[in-house]
Amino acid sequence: MIIRKIVIKNFLCYFGTKTFEFENGLNVILGDNGEGKTKFFEAIYWLFNGGKNFASMVSAKALKETNPDDKFDVSVLMEVEQYASIKSIQRSFTVLKTEKDYNISNSRIIGVEETKDGERIRMDGEKLLDIVLPPEIRKYSLFKGESELNIFNNKDALNILVNSFSSAKHYDKYLAQGASLKKKAEAAVDKESRHNSKKQTQYKNLENEIVRLHKGREKIQELLNISESERQTLEMHIEESERYVDNAESLETINNRIKDINSKIRQEESVIKENYTTYLFDDNWILTNFENVHRTFAEKIKKLQSDRRKLQSDFDREEGIKAGKEKLKKEIIEGLTPLPVGVPAKAYMEEMLDAEYCTVCNRPAKKGTPSYNYIQKRLKEYLDSLTPKIKEQQEKKVLFKHDYTRMLFKLSSTHEDTLATLREKKSEIKEIFEFNATRKEAIKKLKERLQLEIKDREKIIGSSSIGENKLANILKNYSSWQRDINSTNNNLRNLESDLKQISKELEAKIKQKEEIDIDAASSFLIETRNILRNIEVIFRDTKEVKYDEFITQLEKKSNLMFQKINADDFTGKIVFKKRNIGGKSNITIELQENGKIFYSPNQSLVTSMHMGILFAISELASELKEESFPMIFDAPTSSFGETKTKDFLNLVYQTGKQRIILFYDFISKENDVQSIKPEFEEVKRHKAFWLKRQRPFDKNDLSTINTEISSI
Amino acid sequence: MDSLFNRWKTKIPNYSSEFKFLFDRLSSKGGTEGAKKISLGKHFSTNYELYIYAFFLGLYEEEYSPIPKDKKKLKFSHHIQHWGSKSNKIGRKDFSRIQEYIFTALVAKTDINLIDLDKGIISEKEVIQELLLTLEAYTNGGLMLIKEKLEDNPNYYLQPTSFLDMIMVNIR
Repeated sequence: MIIRKIVIKNFLCYFGTKTFEFENGLNVILGDNGEGKTKFFEAIYWLFNGGKNFASMVSAKALKETNPDDKFDVSVLMEVEQYASIKSIQRSFTVLKTEKDYNISNSRIIGVEETKDGERIRMDGEKLLDIVLPPEIRKYSLFKGESELNIFNNKDALNILVNSFSSAKHYDKYLAQGASLKKKAEAAVDKESRHNSKKQTQYKNLENEIVRLHKGREKIQELLNISESERQTLEMHIEESERYVDNAESLETINNRIKDINSKIRQEESVIKENYTTYLFDDNWILTNFENVHRTFAEKIKKLQSDRRKLQSDFDREEGIKAGKEKLKKEIIEGLTPLPVGVPAKAYMEEMLDAEYCTVCNRPAKKGTPSYNYIQKRLKEYLDSLTPKIKEQQEKKVLFKHDYTRMLFKLSSTHEDTLATLREKKSEIKEIFEFNATRKEAIKKLKERLQLEIKDREKIIGSSSIGENKLANILKNYSSWQRDINSTNNNLRNLESDLKQISKELEAKIKQKEEIDIDAASSFLIETRNILRNIEVIFRDTKEVKYDEFITQLEKKSNLMFQKINADDFTGKIVFKKRNIGGKSNITIELQENGKIFYSPNQSLVTSMHMGILFAISELASELKEESFPMIFDAPTSSFGETKTKDFLNLVYQTGKQRIILFYDFISKENDVQSIKPEFEEVKRHKAFWLKRQRPFDKNDLSTINTEISSI
Repeated sequence: MDSLFNRWKTKIPNYSSEFKFLFDRLSSKGGTEGAKKISLGKHFSTNYELYIYAFFLGLYEEEYSPIPKDKKKLKFSHHIQHWGSKSNKIGRKDFSRIQEYIFTALVAKTDINLIDLDKGIISEKEVIQELLLTLEAYTNGGLMLIKEKLEDNPNYYLQPTSFLDMIMVNIR
C-alpha cells in the first residue's frame, strides 16, 4: 500500500484545502517548530484512529472567515494505491457558524474504491481503512517523537507483534487440540491403572507426589525468574554507576583529605594565643616596662626611710637629754641613789608596818615615827608603779603619729623580689609570638594545600555529569550492589541446582508411575497415549520453531538496520530474549555488549535501536503480507543531530519503502527569515515539503494562522 | 589602722568625658571573650581594663596630663579593689598585683611629703586625693595617645597586636 495523497481541509492551522502528494519512497516534511508538522501528524492520527473532540480540530481562520449561518467541512482524506487500485478514505464533520458560536454535525468516514476500469464504489470507511491498513499494521505505522519509538515498553507489545506476524500463531489451534487429546489419553490410562493396580496406595502416593513436585518446580522456576530479574537490575545499577565510580572514589579520597586538612587547621588555630590585650592584664605583660618606675619608687621609699630614721634619732636624742637632765636633778637634790621601786618586797613592807618594826634595820619603827612613815612611803611608791601611767604617756611627746612608711617599705621590698619575674615577661612574650608565628605559618601552608585539594575536587565534580552528593552516594551504593549481586548469583546457583534436583525427582516418579501404568493399563491405551503425547510434542515444538524462526529473523533484520544507522559508531547487539514465565513465552529486548547487557546507552543509540527494530518489523510485515506499508514519523531522531539525521535519511531512502518523516532539522533562521540549509541538498529523498505559516500572523491570534505547503 | 594602699583602693578614679567614646568603642560590656572580641575591635573586656591600660601607657610615655578643669569628669561605678576577676568564671585573672603596681607608681610619681603624712601634718585623705589626681593625669595622657592613634588610622585597633605594640614597641 502506498499513500498517494493526503488532503487536509480546515483542520487547525491548515485553512482551506491543503494537499500533500507523496511518492513511493522517502518523503520528508520540513518545518520549524510551530509551523504545522505536529498538526499534520494529528490529522493523520485522527483519520486512522478517529476521535470526537471536534472543537479542538476546527481551523480558527476558517471560522473567522465564514459568515454566520454558513457551513464548512473539516476533513482529512487519504488516497492510497493498493494492488493497483486507488482507494480513498475521508473522515470529516461539518461546522455551522452561528451568530455567537458554531455547531458541529455530520461526523462521518467515507470510503471510496476505484476499480481498475475507473468505476468508483462507495464503501464503509472504517472497513476500507482496515483493508488498506490492517489494525495490527497501523499500530506500527504512526510514531510521534522519540519516546514513542519504544513500543516495547509494554511487555505484551512484543508478544502481540510476534503473534501478529509470525506463522507460529497458526499452530495455536493444533496445540490446544493436541494438549486436550493427550490429557484425555493420560486420564484414561490413569483411570485404568488406578483400578487395576495392586499397588493402589503406591500409585496414589506417586500421583500426589508428582503433583507436589510439579508445584515445587513451578515455584522454584518463579523464584528463578525473580532472582534473574533482580540480577539484571543490579547489573544495570552497577553498570550505570561504573561510569562515575572512578570519580566517586577520587571524590571520597579527596573529601577525606580535605576533612583532614580542615581538622589540622582547626587544631592549629585552637592553640594560637592571640588575646594579647587580655594577657597585658592577666599575665601582667603590662608591667614589663615597670622596672624604671619601681626604681623611682624604691629610691623614694629608701630615702624616706632614711630621713625618717634620722629625724627619729634626732628627736630621740633631744628627748633623752631632757630625761637625763631631770634624773640628774633628782640625784643631786637627794644626794642619794634610791633603791629601786619594789625593794623590799610588798609583803615584807606590809609585814613591817603591821609589826611596827623594821626588819631591814632590825629596830622598832612605831607608827608616826619617821621610820614607819618611810616604810609606808616605799609601799605607796610600789603600788603607784603598778597602776598604768596613762597620763604620763599622754604627756610624752612623739615625732611620728603614723607609720605609713613601714607598709611602703614592705611593698618596695616585695616588688624588688618580683622584679626578676617581670624581667622574664619579655622572653615569655617573645616565645608566644614565636609559637604563634610557627602555627600561622603551618596554617598558611595547610590552607594552600586545602585550596589545591578544593580545586582538584572541583575538577572531579566538574568532569562528572552528576552532582557531588549523588557522586558520594554512588560509591556507597556501588559497594552494596556488588555485595548484593554476589548473593543474588549464589541464590541463582542454588535455585538452579534445586530445579535440577526436583526435575530429576519428578522424572523418577513419573517413570515409576509409567511402569505401573504399563503393568496395569491395557497396551492399547498406553500406545494411544504415547502417540497422542508425541503429537502434542510435535505441535508444540513446531510452534516453538516457527516462533523462534520469527524472532531470529526479527533479531537479524533489526541488527542489520541498527548497524547501518550507526555505521561509524559503537552499536552493540540487539538481542531478543525469550523467557518462559508461567508456561508462556515472553520476549524482552536487550542491548548487549560482548554478551553482557549494556544498561546505559545514550538516547541516540536507543533511538537507532528502536528504529532498527521498527524497520525490521515493517520489512517482516511486508514479506508476510506480501505488500509494503508506509510508516509516518514525527521528529523521531531529535537526539541524532543533523549529520546523523542526514545519514539516517539516506539509509531510509535506500530501503525504497514509503516513509513520511517530519523534521525540524535543516531549517535556518535569521532575523525571523527562514531558509533551507544547503546541507539538505545532500539528503536523498523522493519528495520533500516545507511547511510555513503564512506571514504576517499574530502568534496570539489563532485566526491569523494558516500553514502553507511548498514542495522543495 | 588601714594601710594607705587599702584606703586608696576603695576609691573610684575619674576620666574626662571627652574620652567616653573610647570606652564605648574599645571595651565590650557583657563579657565577650576571644577572637570575636578583637574582630569587633573590642579589645578590652571592661572599662577599667582600658583605664588601666591608658594609665600605664601614659606612665611609660611620660604623658602626665591632668584632666582640664573645664572638662566634665566621669567615673564608672567600680572601685579599684574590684578591678579584675575574682571568681575566675570566664577564665580571667585577679588584678591585685596590678593594683599594687599602680599604687607604687602613683607613690613614685606624686610629689607628696610622706614624712608629713607620718607626722600627721597632712591627712591620709589629702594624700589619697593627690594619688588619685596622678592616676587620672597619666590615664588622661594615655587616652590622648590612644585617641591620636585612632585618628591617624581608624582601623588600627582591628589587629590583635595593636595595643600590645603600642605599649611595648621595644619588646618584640
